[in-house]
Amino acid sequence: MAGSVAKKCLNPLSLLTRRLSAPEFITQCCYHQKVVDHYENPRNVGSLDKNSKKVGTGLVGAPACGDVMKLQVEVDDQGKIVDARFKTFGCGSAIASSSLATEWVKGKTLDEALEIKNTDIAKELSLPPVKLHCSMLAEDAIRAALADYRLKQHDDQQEA
Amino acid sequence: MFHTNCLLRVSSLLRAARCLMPKRHAAPKTVTCSHRCMSTFHKKDTRHRDANFGGADYRTDKVFSSRSYSTSEAKLNCWNCKQLLDRTPSFFCDSCKAIQPPEEGASYFKILDWLVDYTFTLDTHKLQKRYLQLQRTLHPDNFSQKSVKEQEYSESQSALVSKAYKTLLKPLSRGLYMLELEGMHLKEGTDSVAESHFLMELMEINEALEEAQTPEEVNKIGQDTKGKLADLTELIDAALHEGKLDIAKELLTEMKYYANIEEKLESSQTLHVFLLDVVISESVTDLVVDYGSGP
Repeated sequence: MAGSVAKKCLNPLSLLTRRLSAPEFITQCCYHQKVVDHYENPRNVGSLDKNSKKVGTGLVGAPACGDVMKLQVEVDDQGKIVDARFKTFGCGSAIASSSLATEWVKGKTLDEALEIKNTDIAKELSLPPVKLHCSMLAEDAIRAALADYRLKQHDDQQEA
Repeated sequence: MFHTNCLLRVSSLLRAARCLMPKRHAAPKTVTCSHRCMSTFHKKDTRHRDANFGGADYRTDKVFSSRSYSTSEAKLNCWNCKQLLDRTPSFFCDSCKAIQPPEEGASYFKILDWLVDYTFTLDTHKLQKRYLQLQRTLHPDNFSQKSVKEQEYSESQSALVSKAYKTLLKPLSRGLYMLELEGMHLKEGTDSVAESHFLMELMEINEALEEAQTPEEVNKIGQDTKGKLADLTELIDAALHEGKLDIAKELLTEMKYYANIEEKLESSQTLHVFLLDVVISESVTDLVVDYGSGP
């Protein structure tokens, strides 16, 4: 019973404890509504099959704050990103940045996705200066995922 | 990640490092030690004593660099009675007992009166004792009847001592502070390809924690994380002893990631206790509702 209660209460309460344990929250007063939205209703959380040749996996970390972010993209034969998933362990801004990143890359070609800049993400989420590195992390995650995909394709071509 | 042969290397490093620890009279040996060696703290201390010929002039060494981990040889005078302050940093004047302002740039180790070398491994009980001792004398509550100036000094001193204590209490913040004293900071950017195995491992631990259903599973992850943090503490201590700051920096970066996991574990355990309270109180409420309506 405790388990089901835990599952029911976990979402808002974990937000509460996370907020309580995040000093930056206390100093900032509140996250922007868009960040809260992505945090409470994250889009595209999950994993894709990292062994698939169509999937590129980007795994990045931010040493200064200890955040870890995984972003995966699935690319079709025409070179268009058809699916994207993320898993981020870190602050609300990092989660929101990666959630937004997965929304933005869907439907783009590899080159178009490479054009996504951290400044665009930061602007969209109204990130304060102290959280700009979170958007940087998301941009790096996109690039890492695309680089991984390209590497797999290159290896594939070499084998063929 | 930390194989047995790595730890064996560490213990031999530790033995070697301990041989390097100079005795106070062996100043030349200290000097030939690597310039980054922590034991040069003794060298600066000796110089400090030699320079102490009690000049009456107010001298401040504004050239104090953040790289120095002992205070400079500057001598300060009491703002109240103008007598020379005996030690640095001084909280109170020895002559008139007036509270002094915090000394700019004094290291946290000096503030908490760490009379031994400033090292990564320290006795946190002693640290806490010293902290409480200081706060008993410096706390603003003791200065409510004093002048505005003294009240201000008391507030700044008390806050500084508090900050110093919090920084030195935990290994991670302590290590990062020691690097900072040497002008090093954790890199701002992102890690990706180079540490991909490590990041993958971290991802797995975080995912396991997220998916854990029982307290036993959470505890298991907690034990593993504590183990990893203990290993890292040992390795960081060895690296700092040897003056290998780049290695210490990398290890402290790893520690940062594990410390985040530990924080999550602690808050999930707090949440678990909180939810148990909720469940218990809900059950009690149900009982009252069921049995409250009389026969």
